[in-house]
Amino acid sequence: MENIYKPELVEILDVIDETPDIITFKLKFKDPEYHKEFNFLAGQFAEYSVFGEGECTFCIASSPTRPDFLECSFKAAGKVTNAMRRLQTGDTMGLRGPYGNYFPVEEMKGKSVVFIAGGIGLAPVRCVIWNVLDLRDQFKDVTIVYGARSVADLVYKRELEEWKQMPSVKTVVTVDPGGETPDWNGEIGFVPSIVEKVAPNAENTVAVICGPPIMIKYTMPVLEKLGFKEENVITTLENRMKCGVGKCGRCNVGNVYVCKDGPVFTYKQLKELPEEY
Amino acid sequence: MQAMKQFITTDEKLRQLVHALSKNAWNIISAGKEGTNFIYINDGKDLVINADSKPTKLSAKEFFFPKTEPLFFYKKNHDGVDLLDPKDVLRKTVLFGVKPCDAAAVPVMGKVFNWDYKDEFFNRRVEQTVIIGMACSYSDVYCFCTSTGLSPESSKGSDVFLKPAQNSSYIAEAVTPKGEAFVVEFSSFFDAANENDVKLLLNSPKGPEKKFDANQVKQWLDGHFEDPLWNEVGETCLGCAQCAFTCPTCHCFDIVDESCGYNCGRRVKNWDGCQFGLFTKHASGHNPRGHQPERYRQRISHKFKYYQDKFGEILCTGCGRCTRGCPVGIDIAEIAQEINKRNSVLV
Amino acid sequence: MQELIQAAQAALTSKEAAFIIGYALTPDGKKTRPFIARTPDEAAKLVFNHTCAHNLAVYLTRIAKPKEGKMGIVAKGCDTRAIVALIQENKITRDQVYIIGVNCSGVTADVTLPFGADNLPSKCIMCQVQVPPVSDVLVGTAAPYDKPKDAVTERMQLLEAMNEHERFAFWASEFEKCIKCYACRQTCPMCYCEQCIVDKTVPRWIESSASLRGNFSWNMIRAFHLAGRCIGCGECERACPMDIPLMLLNRKMGMVAMQQFNYRHGVNPEEPTLVGSYNMQDNNEFFK
Repeated sequence: MENIYKPELVEILDVIDETPDIITFKLKFKDPEYHKEFNFLAGQFAEYSVFGEGECTFCIASSPTRPDFLECSFKAAGKVTNAMRRLQTGDTMGLRGPYGNYFPVEEMKGKSVVFIAGGIGLAPVRCVIWNVLDLRDQFKDVTIVYGARSVADLVYKRELEEWKQMPSVKTVVTVDPGGETPDWNGEIGFVPSIVEKVAPNAENTVAVICGPPIMIKYTMPVLEKLGFKEENVITTLENRMKCGVGKCGRCNVGNVYVCKDGPVFTYKQLKELPEEY
Repeated sequence: MQAMKQFITTDEKLRQLVHALSKNAWNIISAGKEGTNFIYINDGKDLVINADSKPTKLSAKEFFFPKTEPLFFYKKNHDGVDLLDPKDVLRKTVLFGVKPCDAAAVPVMGKVFNWDYKDEFFNRRVEQTVIIGMACSYSDVYCFCTSTGLSPESSKGSDVFLKPAQNSSYIAEAVTPKGEAFVVEFSSFFDAANENDVKLLLNSPKGPEKKFDANQVKQWLDGHFEDPLWNEVGETCLGCAQCAFTCPTCHCFDIVDESCGYNCGRRVKNWDGCQFGLFTKHASGHNPRGHQPERYRQRISHKFKYYQDKFGEILCTGCGRCTRGCPVGIDIAEIAQEINKRNSVLV
Repeated sequence: MQELIQAAQAALTSKEAAFIIGYALTPDGKKTRPFIARTPDEAAKLVFNHTCAHNLAVYLTRIAKPKEGKMGIVAKGCDTRAIVALIQENKITRDQVYIIGVNCSGVTADVTLPFGADNLPSKCIMCQVQVPPVSDVLVGTAAPYDKPKDAVTERMQLLEAMNEHERFAFWASEFEKCIKCYACRQTCPMCYCEQCIVDKTVPRWIESSASLRGNFSWNMIRAFHLAGRCIGCGECERACPMDIPLMLLNRKMGMVAMQQFNYRHGVNPEEPTLVGSYNMQDNNEFFK
């Protein structure tokens, strides 16, 4: 019997503390053949298992262009994520996936892209950022705007530096007022106002946005003002999920099962959905 | 009229059939005495074939989608974890005397369990089971199958469908190839029905009066996500899952791990319900459906709009269990009726 | 009926109550269900009859407390015990509620059948509070009705006569039926925890599966959480779709509270609760 609920085993290759409460795992399937065959696209998610604790849903945070290992970043908030926090390099987990749809990277080719992320919302965006950067010559201007509450809350700090050093990318990192440290050399301010300041021309540009609902709420009018059409603003939803395969009904919003029809939606699609996400 | 594969059998023969099935190691399930649950039987005398009986407390869905079902077992060892599929071998099963409102729910649920990814836990149970449906002459104030496109004589979802005839006999229709194979395998209990046999059929049960038009309900739902109605009907809902768990079509579930000590355990699929406040609540505390009226709207909308948009079926067969058991008397048919009324005002 | 409507309308008009939690007829006119009246017009829909079995006190902890005015509630004598218990447990204060007490002549066990001695819930058979002991206004008349022998008491005696193995087997067969719909908890006026222990996942105390082990822990833990707190309205049992005789457990706990501590919950709003207080005279033989 084919068992869609049974995960594959993965080994934790590395544990990276991003912030005091956000951790990144580097993972590799224990079965090398399976690892080789495992294909996914930027924006897809997976169900991660800690046996005896349960499953948890996050996007795959690494890029499909870097297939040596998978990465996921999570905040220890519930039962399973707290159990994950206690795991160490070498431990075994389960992984089911990849599930859901993906960012339209193919359609974005030949266009400019602006990435806007807040807090742990950089995880799903990071996946598509690397995807774009690894195929850099196929895109026009690339801009990254990333914000967090404080300097300590910034995730992927090394990569932020790396992106800043890249001449082909405009990277702006900001922290909320009061969240800066004495040696902070980035921006200070909320993401929406930074976007207004640095966003490129909306012409032939796609915006990829992910972060806390409040950030999205205030950034959308800014993008609108800048001339972004709703169908060119793409985001990813974080509804609560269990099965990940369109069965359990938990992520059902309107006519959509976020796990199958999403999690990636254009702002236009989102506006047609009941506001239950 | 296309010749349906019709057979004639009797009360006595069906009881003998139970005996034969039992000898062949089939699981035999029949509705218990009036109002009680489906039970496993071995003896023909325990078979309840009663078209007048009240629907069982739980619907027949538990035989396809059990209240708790192991998905796999895990065993931790020194270099990792072993995962083992459930080893249980399902026996061939026959469900006797299933009412049209319960039988019809099986293919309706089959849609969600089979779009794209296939839930073989559900499918293998369906495959192993022969559903012997039966025309229903029970009807109370809670029944509304006729409003959901069904009738007391709908054979949807049944493999073999029985209609009562005179002299304790039944006209049996083989509805599906599986049903036909079953009748052929146990042909000594079913004779081919001729024209005269068919004349013995009792009058068709009338069934409950049609209470609402499901298409109109959907039409109204299409444009009324925000509406004062939701507060009116959802305000007194106490948020239990009686309605969802007794419903033949509600299929939402939770997935949890249960350990049997430090090193081993299982992952199970458990019934879950959208009326629970925790159903959609995130670990962060954010809850997209934080209030009961929103959850009640989800229940009605999923049944009469979302599922139809997505899978072309109404997620309701009109069995009336949700209303029959609601501790605060919330009546789904009455709400649909009210929606109908509001919609016709619009038109 | 008019008396009830007038009392409710007066409370709403004078703004003493922000709303009245009461009963209204279903459209078929045959039964009643909970209804929240916010205007005098809505209050005209309020009724009280033999089908008003629900204990509306459950809504007192579910509904948002009004900024101005009290929570009005229609309460039978038995229901007022829940209100008093909530006051004793500091969930509400007496001046937050406006109680329209209704003199009660019994309610039906099965609303689809006529009222009568063979259609009475146990709470009505055992009833000693046809006239509500606590209220702000009292309406209606309490007519005497025939009370048959209480089947619950008889079943309890049977259970008490069993040895522990037999009793375990009895409850195992009952709890096996449980589907974990939590209708018992949701309809219980005393189950108001913001997070129920069964929903706690870090750590998980009670298995959420509706398998025997999880069902046993859920039903037993709930019974213990209600020990000395259950006010005997029987809503859990009425709501249970699987007909598990939960009141056998709750009643037993109540009897133990009575025998051991001479305590009955929900009687005196000033009295400290049984499990929330200790005094030197408490019977503590069982500590041995």
